[in-house]
Amino acid sequence: MPNVVSKNNPYLPQMGTIREIIQETPNIKTFRIVLDDPEQMAAFRFEPGQVGQLSVFGVGESTFVINSPPTRREYLQFSVMKTGEVTRALHRLCEGDPIGVRAPLGNSFPVEALKGKDILFVGGGIGMAPLRTLLLTMVDRREEFGDITVIYGARSPQDLCYRYEFDQWRAAGVNLVLTVDREFPGWEERVGFVPTVLAEEAPSPYNRVAITCGPPIMIKFVLAGLKELGYEDDQILTTLERRMKCGIGLCGRCNIGDTYVCVDGPVFSNTQLRQMVSEL
Amino acid sequence: MEKAVFLPDTELHEALAALSADAQVWVPAGDASKPDLVRFQRYRPGLSVRLDARSLVSAKEVLFPRSEALLRFVKEKDLSVPAGHRLHVDDTRTVPPAVVFGCRPCDARGFLTFDRVFLQGPYRDPYYAERREKTTFVSLVCRDADGACFCSAVGSGPADPQGSDAQLIALPDGYVLRAITQRGAALVEKIGRGPTAEQIQAARDMLDQAGREMVGEGSLTAMDAAFRARFQDAAFWHGHIDKCLSCGLCTFVCPTCYCFTITDEARGLSGERIRSWDACMFPHFTLEASGHNPRPSKVERYRNRVGHKFSYFVSKYGQVACCGCGRCIRHCPVSVDIRAVVRDLPVQEEVHA
Amino acid sequence: MKTLHSHLEDHFEELELVIGWEIGFEPLRATPAFVRRREDLARLVWNPLCAPNLSVYLPQILKSAEKTEKKVAVCLKGCDTRSLTALIQEGFVDRERLHVIGLPCPGTVDPQALAQARKNRAPVTQVSFQDNLLILHSYEGTEEIPLDSVLARRCRRCRQPNPLLADVVLGDPVPARCDAPSFAHVEAVDSLPLEERRAYWERELDRCLRCYACRNACPLCVCRDRCLAESRTPKWTTQRDSVRDKFLFHMIHALHLAGRCTECGECERVCPVGIPVALFKEKMAQIALDLWDYQAGVDPAATPPLQTFDPSETGI
Repeated sequence: MPNVVSKNNPYLPQMGTIREIIQETPNIKTFRIVLDDPEQMAAFRFEPGQVGQLSVFGVGESTFVINSPPTRREYLQFSVMKTGEVTRALHRLCEGDPIGVRAPLGNSFPVEALKGKDILFVGGGIGMAPLRTLLLTMVDRREEFGDITVIYGARSPQDLCYRYEFDQWRAAGVNLVLTVDREFPGWEERVGFVPTVLAEEAPSPYNRVAITCGPPIMIKFVLAGLKELGYEDDQILTTLERRMKCGIGLCGRCNIGDTYVCVDGPVFSNTQLRQMVSEL
Repeated sequence: MEKAVFLPDTELHEALAALSADAQVWVPAGDASKPDLVRFQRYRPGLSVRLDARSLVSAKEVLFPRSEALLRFVKEKDLSVPAGHRLHVDDTRTVPPAVVFGCRPCDARGFLTFDRVFLQGPYRDPYYAERREKTTFVSLVCRDADGACFCSAVGSGPADPQGSDAQLIALPDGYVLRAITQRGAALVEKIGRGPTAEQIQAARDMLDQAGREMVGEGSLTAMDAAFRARFQDAAFWHGHIDKCLSCGLCTFVCPTCYCFTITDEARGLSGERIRSWDACMFPHFTLEASGHNPRPSKVERYRNRVGHKFSYFVSKYGQVACCGCGRCIRHCPVSVDIRAVVRDLPVQEEVHA
Repeated sequence: MKTLHSHLEDHFEELELVIGWEIGFEPLRATPAFVRRREDLARLVWNPLCAPNLSVYLPQILKSAEKTEKKVAVCLKGCDTRSLTALIQEGFVDRERLHVIGLPCPGTVDPQALAQARKNRAPVTQVSFQDNLLILHSYEGTEEIPLDSVLARRCRRCRQPNPLLADVVLGDPVPARCDAPSFAHVEAVDSLPLEERRAYWERELDRCLRCYACRNACPLCVCRDRCLAESRTPKWTTQRDSVRDKFLFHMIHALHLAGRCTECGECERVCPVGIPVALFKEKMAQIALDLWDYQAGVDPAATPPLQTFDPSETGI
């Protein structure tokens, strides 16, 4: 059962303020947002993987994953790539600006079911955002999970998000494998596409769950690569993106067959994806 | 008939005026300049009420306006805060009681599809819910189905009481109005006069006769599996849909199509967030900011329309999302016939060399 | 009908696809038919119920059709061939890939007018045509209705009943209903005082559902999926249900058709709420005629006036 956003009106955003903006890459900014009502902020609960709708009043709303973990509650963090009308408006906002938030919406990663397992994250570009919330949840509850391997790639070093955190992740015992598409001066990590690096790393599927998010073409090859490595469909989780408006299962556009990405997703196992009509 | 009154033709306007005293009354009415162009309009004296004619557009807009404000916002200048303005958002609204008088049973039944989604889904839509609670539906037992009608094929029929609070049964000189729900009973009390035994009998006969009548061939309610089996049959979908113009007419005249968009419409420092009708037949409906479109052509879009009504909705809610009113067929610029598409889903074609 | 069928039978091997009309879900409904198998040729019909202008499909069909030696055959009435000509002029259709079947047209039926002209109410079970008469059969008997009494508005002002461009013309030429361009319908509205004219259009456009059937049925509305009516960046119209926004859309539609509209009247035919939207485009056609002495889609060799620039032009 999804959370009820507002008791009476699920279309009504909660009012918040942008506390901090981080320029992650040339076209991605991270927003740290605090709800204006301290009681609402204190009572705000969500699970890793859930999303929120950010409002720029006068322009519109758009959906983003809450990429801070539920274990860190001083602000809600969203990373936004500049692609359309609303994201362009979000990029124009400044620290201290008001913003509307409808959250949490959608389902989440099955954290409890992942306890005791080894974890493989495979992310590309902005696709690291949904993985970050779960990764940091696991970092903060480190003893509950086994090996954590992250394969994260982008076109170039400057297209990697959260660079300022990589040392902290490694310090927390995360096996972080970074890759970019080609050689760059000063780049000392891996070079090559994510699926290639995945094949080279070849993390064992034994007692492991793989969680992947990135551009569709990367997902396609990563799924094939995981299958090659022996991962079963129910060992693979991914998050889907669709054009959304209402975010609450009513407006009718984000469906894949009878599945609504906004309320039934965004997190799906590969088993679930295979049962859907093929309309990705 | 437990609670029924007789409403003579000559007193129809008087009754509508009486109902208008404490509710918005919507009736099928002809345009002043085009009497055969019948739409649901707010009752006013002198309106050319046409209970005898099928309306072009359904009564959908009474509960689901073509465009409505979800919230209003104002940016109030204030240089003491970092943003330079304070934002005020408000979603207050007033919903008056309403009566839809003289719609057809299919129109009233159409809202059962809305109810499943807007009232019984994981989130309740407060705008729809409020109107729904305050609206009374009086449907006219239908005696003039045309070649596009197919209500019986979706489990309804010309005398279907589902979704109606009261029913009108046409007699030669007026109507017997019978209550179906409590809300209908409250309405019936306000108008008409005690019916004679003959009138009651005539109404009963008419109701029986209409209840037995079958409008549309066969049944289209159990096509879920057939749809899924056809999903990737490109030749099937092209065969039916090559002629489609990909406009939004079918969805806009439909009593059960509920898809919408939300947009901000602002001017200067204030504006509204509005919800307006949208159509799954439009390309931008699913177009993502990246340029990717999961339903890039009319074939995928029409397939989704058929799937939504006759497969996805069935597997989710156990009912089809179609009331068989036939408007999408009757008014389609190129006569795309959704009945034929759905009926053909399970048909094994001969293989031609 | 023998001629159309026998012509297509004779040429079927050269054809990849035939776009024509067939009877739809009831006898009075002719609907576009896409025929790919020889045995389906028998379904095709040609009569005054064949209202849809099939040239609207050509740009998309030719884009997606495989590049073969075979051609796409299309049935076009006189006025429809003007739309095709305009599409060829603008480079949206490759003439060489088409086999155009031109059909001299006695005029098409306005379904509302026919419904009003009928005395019987029972559904029509069969329809036939003879000497400009519609013969309707129903359970209540047979009725004869003169075609002239139930013509669509576009046909009452028709001056091109005969194909202007075709690989084959089937049927005898039909005399034109008008010798010269007739703008009487536009002028009737135009002559209203400003306030009345505005009230007239506000009343008409208030009914608009913004379903965009008028746009999608228009063969010359070539932007298709990129129409600015739905664009948010830039944003031209709001999503409000206001006459202002509807009016703006229809003005944009009309202006985009200035010097291009071939007056086929499809926009008006398909409108579910009976708005005479073709009047806007007829006004554009009238202006194009006055200003440039130009009629869209009449001469394949001509350049549409807004696709060229002549510094000596005056009066604009």
